[in-house]
Amino acid sequence: MANSVTQRAGHAENLANKPGGRDQAAKICKGLGVKNPPFAYHRPETLDEALLLLAQIGEEAKIMSGGQSLLPVMAIRLGQPENIIDISQIRGLDSIETESDIVMFGALVTHSQAEASPVTRDSVPLLHKAMPYIGHRAIRNRGTLCGSLAHADPAAELPAVALALDAELIAASTDGARFIAAEDFFSGFLSTTLQQNELLVGVRFHQAPAGMLTSVQELSRRHGDFALVGLTCVLQLSSDGLVDSAALSFFGVASTPSRATQAEQSLVGSRPTTELFEEIANMVSNELDPPSDTHASANYRKHAAGVLTKRALADCMSQTGVLT
Amino acid sequence: MRKSLAKQALNADTNAPAMGRFVGQSVKRVEDQRLLTGNGTYVADVNPEEVVHASFFRSPYAHAEILSIDLAAGLALDGVIAIYTGKDIERLTNPFAPLASLANQYTPVFYGLATDRVRHVGDPIAIIIATSRCIAEDAAELIDVDYKPLATVTNHREANDPTIPAIWPKNDSNVLYEDEKIYGEIERVFARADHVFTETFSCHRVSNQPMETRGAVAEIDPDSGEITYHAATQSPHLLRWILAISTERESVVESLKYLATNRDRLKKFGAGAKAFLTEKKDDLAKNDSTASTNQIKKDPSTLAHLGRTFFNTLGSRRYPRVVAKDVGGAFGSKGAVNREDVVLLAAALDLNRSVKWIEDRSENLADGGQAREEDMTISVAAKDDGTILGFRVELVMDQGAYPAVPFNCGLFSNMIKAMLPGPYRLEAFEMKMKVVASNKGRYLQYRGPWANETWVRERMLDIVARELAISPTELRQKNMFGPEHLPGKMVTGPDLDEDMTAAATLAKAIEVADLPAFEVAQAEALTIGRHLGIGFATYHEAAPGPDNFWESVNPGSDAFLPERVDAVLGRDGSVSIKTQQLPHGQSHETTYSQLAADELGIAIKDVTLVYGDTDNTPFGLLGTGGSRGGPVGGGGVTFSSRQLRRLILDEAADLMEASVDDLDIIDGKIHVRGVPALSKTFADVARAVTSRGQAASTANAIETHVVYSNAGNGGWACSTHVCWVDVDLETGFVTIPRYVVVEDCGQMINPAIVEGQIRGGVAQGIGAVFYEKTVYDESANFQSSTFMDYLIPTAMEIPEIEIFHLETPASVEADFRGVGEGGMIGSPPAINNAVENALAHLGVRITEQHLPPTRILELAGVIEAE
Ligand SMILES: Cc1cc2nc3c(=O)[nH]c(=O)nc-3n(C[C@H](O)[C@H](O)[C@H](O)COP(=O)(O)OP(=O)(O)OC[C@H]3O[C@@H](n4cnc5c(N)ncnc54)[C@H](O)[C@@H]3O)c2cc1C
Repeated sequence: MANSVTQRAGHAENLANKPGGRDQAAKICKGLGVKNPPFAYHRPETLDEALLLLAQIGEEAKIMSGGQSLLPVMAIRLGQPENIIDISQIRGLDSIETESDIVMFGALVTHSQAEASPVTRDSVPLLHKAMPYIGHRAIRNRGTLCGSLAHADPAAELPAVALALDAELIAASTDGARFIAAEDFFSGFLSTTLQQNELLVGVRFHQAPAGMLTSVQELSRRHGDFALVGLTCVLQLSSDGLVDSAALSFFGVASTPSRATQAEQSLVGSRPTTELFEEIANMVSNELDPPSDTHASANYRKHAAGVLTKRALADCMSQTGVLT
Repeated sequence: MRKSLAKQALNADTNAPAMGRFVGQSVKRVEDQRLLTGNGTYVADVNPEEVVHASFFRSPYAHAEILSIDLAAGLALDGVIAIYTGKDIERLTNPFAPLASLANQYTPVFYGLATDRVRHVGDPIAIIIATSRCIAEDAAELIDVDYKPLATVTNHREANDPTIPAIWPKNDSNVLYEDEKIYGEIERVFARADHVFTETFSCHRVSNQPMETRGAVAEIDPDSGEITYHAATQSPHLLRWILAISTERESVVESLKYLATNRDRLKKFGAGAKAFLTEKKDDLAKNDSTASTNQIKKDPSTLAHLGRTFFNTLGSRRYPRVVAKDVGGAFGSKGAVNREDVVLLAAALDLNRSVKWIEDRSENLADGGQAREEDMTISVAAKDDGTILGFRVELVMDQGAYPAVPFNCGLFSNMIKAMLPGPYRLEAFEMKMKVVASNKGRYLQYRGPWANETWVRERMLDIVARELAISPTELRQKNMFGPEHLPGKMVTGPDLDEDMTAAATLAKAIEVADLPAFEVAQAEALTIGRHLGIGFATYHEAAPGPDNFWESVNPGSDAFLPERVDAVLGRDGSVSIKTQQLPHGQSHETTYSQLAADELGIAIKDVTLVYGDTDNTPFGLLGTGGSRGGPVGGGGVTFSSRQLRRLILDEAADLMEASVDDLDIIDGKIHVRGVPALSKTFADVARAVTSRGQAASTANAIETHVVYSNAGNGGWACSTHVCWVDVDLETGFVTIPRYVVVEDCGQMINPAIVEGQIRGGVAQGIGAVFYEKTVYDESANFQSSTFMDYLIPTAMEIPEIEIFHLETPASVEADFRGVGEGGMIGSPPAINNAVENALAHLGVRITEQHLPPTRILELAGVIEAE
C-alpha cells in the first residue's frame, strides 16, 4: 500500500501524532534537516504504485531516489515540490543485469554499486572511469545513476557518458515503457524529455566492443567538485590503425552535455598522431561556446576543453601502446 | 608594573616546582573524547522548555529604500507567534552607537533590523518567531516588502566617486575614515633613494567560515524574568554587556531613580570604575579626547546614545547571564556582537519566552563575517645595494555596509599601519589610511586582521629584489633586524627585544630550502615545460607584543588588555582554573591543564577549566582572540596556579607542622621533601581551611587570582614560510609539492597543538589564494551564498606542511607567544611569491592575491582576460 503522509518536514510532532508516523518522522527529519518547505511524502513499495501516484498527482510530484541533488535544492528552497515520491524502497530496481550485449543498470543502482561492479569495469569501462569524479564517497553511496541522468546537471559526468556511449534510458509510466536515446533525452539546463507521468526505471549500455579506447578527463576547482570542464572520450581504431569512430562528449561547457561533432568527424578516417590531436584540440576550442561564471571564464573553458581533448586522445592511444 | 609581575613571582617563589612534566609535551587533547564522540554541547544543542524558533527575513537587494512591509500573510500562518520589523526594534532597543571613535572617523549608528533602507544583500528586515524553524521560514516567504532600489556602491572606486550618494546620509560621502601617519623624515629618505619602486596590490574579500555558524538561545524564565543567553561567542562578557546596554530602555531619569534606590549597586560599580580609572589613568590619558568630535558633529544622536549607554551600564536590570559551552570555531567572527543577538533578545524579552536562532550557511556567508578586501599602493625607497630606506603606503579598506561591533576597519587599518614595516629596519614610513562604505556584508576581524601588511610587504620585497637583481632572501636578510640590531624599535614605535627572532627563522628556512639545488631543478623543469617556483615570506607578530605595542596602533586601547585568571581549590580538594577566555578550537582545556598541573604537581585530569559562563568566570572584554590565549591567558594560569600552590602549601605546613620550604607536591600528595610516606592531600587542606571557618566561599576553600598582561619580553612570535609550486600552464592549476614553516613562538606548551594551529592557518591561506572568494557582481548582488560558490579547501587540497620549531630558550618565565593567527599571515605572500617566481621568465607580476586557474592563465598570457 502506498504510504502517504502529509507533513511539514522537520516538524516531527505533526507526523508523530499520525498513526504509524513516528518512525517515518524520525527518518525524514534526520535526513532533511529542518528547513525544507512543506510537502507531502509518499513512499510506494512497488513500481506500479509509484506510477499510479505519478499519474494521479502529475505536475506537483517529484521523484526522489538518492536525494543527493533534490534535497539540497529543497533545503535552500529553490525547489518546492508539493509531493515527494520516494522510490528508494521499491524492490527489484537495484540490480545490474547483462543480457546478450546489453548492460542494464536499474533505477536504484547507486554510484558506488556501479563503481564496485566488475560488470561496469569490464563491459562499460568509460562509466567505470567516470565514477571516481562524482562527488565524494558519501554522495556516491546514496546517489543513483538514474537520478543523475534525470537531474541532467550539465556539469555532471554521467549525462556525458550516456551521450558518448549512445546509452538508452528506460522510461515507464502507467501507459507502459519506452526507450529514449541519450541524444534525445537532455533538452536543456536541468531538463529532459521525460514526461510528467514517467520515471526512469533504468539505463542501458552496449557492452564495450573489444579494442574500445576510453578516457575521462576533468578539471574541477577542488577534488569532488562539479567539473569546470570535463570530457568523456571514446575511440575505435580500425585494423589499419585509422580512427574508425570517435566520441568527444563534453560536460560543463553548455546547458546540456554536448558532443564536439565537427572534431569527431575530423578524427574519423584519420591516422592518430600528436599533430592531429593538436589540430583536433584547436577545433574543439573553436567549436565550443561555453559560459562564464565565478569559477572560470568562457575563454578558460574553451582553452581547457582543448587541453583535455589532447590529454584524452593521448590517454586513449596509450592504451594501445602506439602513438605516432 | 606588568613586567615585574612575572619577575616578582619568579623571585618570590623559591618553591617553584620542577617544570616540564607536561608543559612541552604533545599531550593528547582533553577535549577530543567529548567532541569526537558527539558529546559536545553547542548552542544548537540547547533546548529550553517551550522554546520557540526564529528566522530572519533578509534583503534580496543590495541597496533599497523600504517603502512598506506587509506582514499579514506571514502572521496568519499557523504556528507563527510574532514578527518584528525595524519599527519594533527602534522601540524595543537602543541602536549600536560607536563606543569609541578615531579622529576623522564616522561610524554609523544603526539598529539590529533595517529601519528605513536596506544596505546589503542579507540585511535583516524582520525576525519571525514561530513554533518551528520551518514555519518561521515558511512565513518569511509570505512577507511582502515594497522596495525602491537605490544606486549601489560595489567597490572602493565607486565609494570614492562623489556623484554616488552616501549609503549613510549623515556622512557626506562614502568615505568613513581618513588619516595619515608619518614616522621619520619621509621626504628626505625618499630624496636620498637611488630607486623608488611603486606597485598597487589588491586583495579580494573572503569570509571567516567556522564549522558552526552563528546562533543563540535567549532563555527567559517566565516567572523570575531571569535571562540566560546561550551563544556561540568568543567573548561572553562583551556580549553580555552589549546585550544589556542595547535592550535596557529605561530613560536616564528612571535609571537615576533606580540607582538612587539601589545605592549598593552604584557604590559597587563606582568603586570598580574608580579603581579602573585610577589604575589605568596613564593608559587612558593617551586616548585622543577630541576623537569623537567628528562623530558627534555628523550625528549628534551619538551623544544621546553614549549617555544612555553610560547610564544603562550602571543601571541596567537586564544584564543577562551569558553561557557558551562548546563553540565550533570562529576565526574572529564570533568576537563581534551580532545585530541578530540584540534582536533575538529583544523579541524574547517582549514575548517573555525563550527563543532560539541557529544561523544557516547562506546567512553566514552573506553576513557572518567577511574580511581582507583592501587595496594598498606601496612605494619603496631603496639604494642600489638593496638597502631599503622607507615605505610610503596608501591603504583603502572596504568596510561593507554596517560596521562590525565593537571592532571595525578604523582599528584594523591602524593595525596594518603599525605592523607594515615588519621585522625590517626602515628609516622612515608614511601611511595614508582610508576606510569606505559599500553595499556588502560586514568586514570583521579574521585570523590576523592586519595580515595584509605582511602580504603587501613580502610581495613587494620580491618585486624590489627582482628589479635590483638581488635574490629575495638576500634582500630580506640585508634589511632585517638581526641579533646585532636588538634590542631595537620598529619605525612605528613598538620595541623589539632580543627574542624577536625573525632573522633566525629566515636563516633556518634558507638552510632547509637549499636554494642552489632548487634553481638547478627549476631550470631543468623549464626545459620540459614545467614551471616550478619558490617563495618566502617572513613576519613577526605581536602575540601579544611589547608593552608599547597598542600605543602604536591606537593609544589608550591597552587599558583593556590585562586579563584576570582565577585559581581555585574546591571544598572537596578539586582544582579549577577560571578564565575569561572562550575556547573555540584552540585546545585551552588541554594547555591550561598542562600549565596548572605542572605548577600544582597534579595530573592533567585533576584540573577543571571553567569558562564560558559570565556568572562564574572573571570579567574580561576580549575573550579569546588576538593570539592572547597562550601568552596572556596561559601566563595567567601559570602564575595564578603558582599562587594557589603557595596558599595550599602554607596551609599544609600548618597541618604538618613543617616549614613550607621543605614541602613538595608530587602526584597530588603534599609531603616533606624526602619523606613521601607521610603526606596530605588537597582534600585534607581544603577540609582544614573549611573547618577553621575560613573557606573562601560556599563552594571553594581557597580562591586566588592574578591579573596578567605579558611575560615581560617583546611577545613577538616570528616565522618564515617557504612555498614551492608547480604551475601547469595548460590548465592553470597549481600544486604545492612542498611547504615549510619555520617558527619561533617561544616555549611551546604543547607542540602538537602549535602545529595544528599553524597547519590550519596555512590551509586558510591556501584557501584564500586558490579557492575562497566572496563575490559580489557589479550591482553588489551577492554571488557566494553556498559552498558550491564559496570554495573551502578540503584535506585533499592541502599539502603536507613541514614545521620546524626554533623554540629559542626563554629569557623570561612563561615565555609563550601566540600561534593562532600566524599560519594565515605568512601563507598568502609565500604562495604568491612562489607563483610569481615560477612565471617570472614570462614577465608575470602578481599584484592580486586570488589566483584561480582562470587568472593564472590570463596572467601567463595563455588566454585572454574577459
Ligand atoms: C556535495 C555534492 C557533490 C556532488 N558532486 C557531483 C559530481 O561531481 N558529479 C555529479 O555528477 N554529481 C555530483 N553530485 C550529485 C550526485 O551525483 C547525485 O547523486 C545525482 O546528481 C542525483 O542522484 P540521486 O539519486 O541522489 O537523485 P535525487 O537527488 O533523488 O534526484 C535528482 C533529480 O532527479 C529526479 N529523479 C531521481 N530519480 C529519478 C528516476 N528514477 N526517474 C525520474 N526522475 C528521477 C528527481 O526528481 C530530481 O529531480 C554531488 C552531490 C553533492 C551533494
